[in-house]
Amino acid sequence: MTEVRDVPTYCYNCVAGPDLMKVRVKDGVAIEVKPNCDADGIHPANGKVCVKAYGLIQKAYNPSRIRTPMKRSNPKKGRHEDPGFVPISWDQALEEITEKMRAVREQGLQDEAGLPRLAVSFGHGGTPSSYMGTLPAFLSSWGGPIDFSFGSGQGVGCTHSEHLYGEYWHRGFTVCADTVNTNYVLSFGANLDASGGPCATWRHAEARARGAKRVQIEPHLSVTGGASAQWVPIKPKTDMAFMFGMINVLLFEHTRDELDIPFLRDSTASPYLVGPQGHYLRDPESGKPLVWDTVRDTAVAHDTPDIVPALDGSFRVLQTQERGPDEDRYDYDEVEGRTAFSLMADVMAEYTPEWAQSMCDVPAATIREIANEFLDNACIGETVEVDGDTLPFRPVAVVLGKTVSNGWGAYQCCWGRTMLAVLVGALEVPGGTLGTTTRLNKPLGDRIASCTPGDDGFMATPLNPTGKDTWEKHPSGRNAHKSLIPIVGSGPWSQALGPSHLAWMFLEGAPEGWERPSYPDIWIIYRSNPGISFWELDTVVATAAKMPFTVAFAYTIDETNYMADYLLPDAPDLESTQLIRIGGTKFVEQIWDHEGLALRQPIVEPQGDSRDMTWIATELAKRTGLMEPYYKAINRGAGGVPLKGDGFDYSLDPSCEHSVDEVWDAACKAGSTAYSKGEVTHDLDWFKEHGFYTIPYKREDWYLYPTMRGHGLRFELPYQERLTRSGQELGRRLHEKGVNWWDSQLKEYQAIPHWHDVPALYEEELERSGGKSEDYPFWGITAKSAQYAAGNNVTIQLMNEVGSNVRGHGSVIMNAGVAKRLGIDTGDMVEVSSTTGVTRGRAEPVQGIRPDTICMVGQFDHWATPYAKELGFPSLNTLTPMSLELTDATGSGADLVRVSVRAVGAKA
Amino acid sequence: MTRYVMVADLQLCVGCQTCTAACKSANSTLPGVQWRRVMDIEVGEYPDVQRVFLPTGCQHCADAPCETVCPTKATYTRDDGIVMIDYDRCIGCAYCAVACPYDARYKVEEKRFAYGDEPMPHEEQSYNDNIIGVSQKCNFCVDVIDAGLAQGLTPGVDPDATPACVNSCISGALIFGDRDDPESPASRALEKSESFRMHEDAGTDPGFYYIWSNKAEETV
Repeated sequence: MTEVRDVPTYCYNCVAGPDLMKVRVKDGVAIEVKPNCDADGIHPANGKVCVKAYGLIQKAYNPSRIRTPMKRSNPKKGRHEDPGFVPISWDQALEEITEKMRAVREQGLQDEAGLPRLAVSFGHGGTPSSYMGTLPAFLSSWGGPIDFSFGSGQGVGCTHSEHLYGEYWHRGFTVCADTVNTNYVLSFGANLDASGGPCATWRHAEARARGAKRVQIEPHLSVTGGASAQWVPIKPKTDMAFMFGMINVLLFEHTRDELDIPFLRDSTASPYLVGPQGHYLRDPESGKPLVWDTVRDTAVAHDTPDIVPALDGSFRVLQTQERGPDEDRYDYDEVEGRTAFSLMADVMAEYTPEWAQSMCDVPAATIREIANEFLDNACIGETVEVDGDTLPFRPVAVVLGKTVSNGWGAYQCCWGRTMLAVLVGALEVPGGTLGTTTRLNKPLGDRIASCTPGDDGFMATPLNPTGKDTWEKHPSGRNAHKSLIPIVGSGPWSQALGPSHLAWMFLEGAPEGWERPSYPDIWIIYRSNPGISFWELDTVVATAAKMPFTVAFAYTIDETNYMADYLLPDAPDLESTQLIRIGGTKFVEQIWDHEGLALRQPIVEPQGDSRDMTWIATELAKRTGLMEPYYKAINRGAGGVPLKGDGFDYSLDPSCEHSVDEVWDAACKAGSTAYSKGEVTHDLDWFKEHGFYTIPYKREDWYLYPTMRGHGLRFELPYQERLTRSGQELGRRLHEKGVNWWDSQLKEYQAIPHWHDVPALYEEELERSGGKSEDYPFWGITAKSAQYAAGNNVTIQLMNEVGSNVRGHGSVIMNAGVAKRLGIDTGDMVEVSSTTGVTRGRAEPVQGIRPDTICMVGQFDHWATPYAKELGFPSLNTLTPMSLELTDATGSGADLVRVSVRAVGAKA
Repeated sequence: MTRYVMVADLQLCVGCQTCTAACKSANSTLPGVQWRRVMDIEVGEYPDVQRVFLPTGCQHCADAPCETVCPTKATYTRDDGIVMIDYDRCIGCAYCAVACPYDARYKVEEKRFAYGDEPMPHEEQSYNDNIIGVSQKCNFCVDVIDAGLAQGLTPGVDPDATPACVNSCISGALIFGDRDDPESPASRALEKSESFRMHEDAGTDPGFYYIWSNKAEETV
């Protein structure tokens, strides 16, 4: 008799997840992916999943999968060396790997240079943690530093500067519009309808249906641009000029009282007085920054009760001081202080829309019109009730895409976006621009709890120390994140968010005055393929080939694990067990009215001899002699939820081994008991049947403003006194060490950002690398795809088939008029070159791209990955250089490069 | 009477192809066969350009040219407006494919699978030799509709009685229902919107509507 079941699970293949779904199983075979309609009204997209999830059945049954542990037989490594992988048993693989681990541990967890002997790389945006079972518990049991420097895309492919500045200013590791409430969204290249998952797509569609307007500003008319009310083609990497032009309009073409004066005055540092050295004027005794109180007509500490601080102007201040880097003091009997707001306005005064037009190639009238629409839609003065609290209602938002929010210029863009929100009081309030999660500040993922009082009336945000005695002179990780990037901090995610390309670059040769790092003794890779997802791919692959001992959890052969010593086939999405947290506020537009837990369960048997990651992690721990700390880590919550809490204790006995189901049964019971505050306890069988458990999440906690207000805190804008001071100290430390190669980055520490001619940097890089502008006349850019967020899913035939309906899929997108001039027709094979590399693809001339721009969607150019290597799709990653000069002060670069295009063959 | 129709709101569709993939998953169509797909069309010239995402497939015409030309009566229309193909009667002459103004029909001459000649387990289980050499197209997930109706469910409202493409749509662009029921989701959506049907002048009376604008408030 035929048995048909619909089994609940989740999809977290891209950073915009997780989303809930069901898989229909017929006689033990997965046959259909479906939405989970049980989540209607709970999940923001009502239990729907995006196109990628529909490829998961092919992913399970893909004949190209690695189905058994494999060992390299060819000791030589390289792209042109057949690794000669031969199947071995799990027992052999685990014994040999853990033998190496034990030997390494005996030498010490750090090598002679003080660098971790174990390095681990994870893929796309932290999503692997929803598939790796209890591997984090094994890594915790390691008991010492692990190097997460070798990124697979972060810093080069994420919205890197947004992560750092967004989290610093408003706990916005990722930032979005309050799409449910907003009426006007300015999107600088945020390709949300391709990369925002069902939650963003659903909410933006609902917003359009109720009349909200979205303006898409980007060089190439993306999918999101196609679904927007207006497309504004802008010259690549000049977005800051557009934003500065808008700020200029708001400041100088409107009266002050058209802005949100109470918000600026009481919720930001706008009234803080700045002295001649560029630091806040402070009360000498308390050290508190001063404001000019218009009631008492004198300077007072910013938190003095019953004051009305001046927003604009300069004031004579008596008996005050500035505090500079390294505690430098500047004492004054009398000095002029200017408000931070006025200093900001002074800088912005020259950035008129007409000036902006000359920089970003958008008509001044368009910039002015959009600025005025933004202000008109801000509803300044209006309020709305949320959970019984009265909050400002400001339904305008600004969102940034990749390349705008990473690399040079991203500081200015992140600042510009946040200032636009601040000027109209639309930061962290209903309808406005919101952060969604934290990754650098504790507690991880809880932005409300992470908002605690710090110095100067701002949130507490630890920076990596830059003092004479506190600066990390000798890096403890290979990307030197603590030494070079104060704002990235030192939390669990900080290293991965450091300048990840520096780890790759420095292994090949460190700059003057810097220690060349050692190779890690062991490198573990999980759901990650930097050989495709990074830049300057040949270099990354060559470096990966030099890693002395590499263990790759492998789904198929790929460009990175081609260099591995061992391949371990973990059971992926539909074949293994894991409980994760859902809801609340997470990445992108995962902002729910509920929170709780969802289970991923084996819907089909593990294919071949692939094994559940929790089983693998347990074996690694057991064979390395780390079982006790491993289980203790699980008990503390390394599997996702702590197993012990108020009124319950489902802790596992660390002295004996537990099965995969025992681990997750305990997690299910503990998690459900904790969320329900003891009202219910659901075991693994319950979750297998129901899929998820949620409780309501407070709508007010979507917004940081009420918490800031409750603590009496101000958003640290517009003036970046603390960061600038930190940069000044960093400069002193580096110069003391004889390092001058970070000087360009040090210039980015500006209290008020100025225009930075970023396009010119790329021209300079071109010349430095031996190219001439006239030979590389185009800007090469990339765009995300709904079918292939990041480099995921490239082996899935279904993704390629349905992706083929999308304009530009797998092609070289170029302006139709330019193509005609060059004699290039649709489908012609073209070669796109930079001074770094060459990629080839079929031409797709279109109208929706600037004449000076070439766009290649997704990440391809595979040569080892099955199926993908047959596609012949081009990739910008092949062309983009890893360059210190193109690295900004946060340690990120942008997907941008000067390229040439030529036809190399007619349509096939 | 009942006439099931599909409505696509072009203001909402983002061209993500989730419906395309969901259709293929639900109906186990072979590689290259897309009963539902979304076209991605540019309109205008740089810099005044738009992209239009146009879901398409069988339009379930009331006066279906494919039915008219079918020499074996393999193509027929149900009382509820769904245009069907009887694979046992179809001789694969492809007149219907030529006659269809919507390029909605497919014909696969030999079996093929996602990764070559060998089927994966789900392909093997769902493979139906009847579809080789005959015409095939969207049937509005008729089995789901019939099964749902048998349970007293309402197509277009209850997921278990609604085509997979509609259930899957992540922008709410695809809407389904009985055009003759003014309370159906499809009728309600059309009532408040400006819409068109493709090649309406060809007289095919398609059962697939495209919303391009909301009606002005005073006319709703």
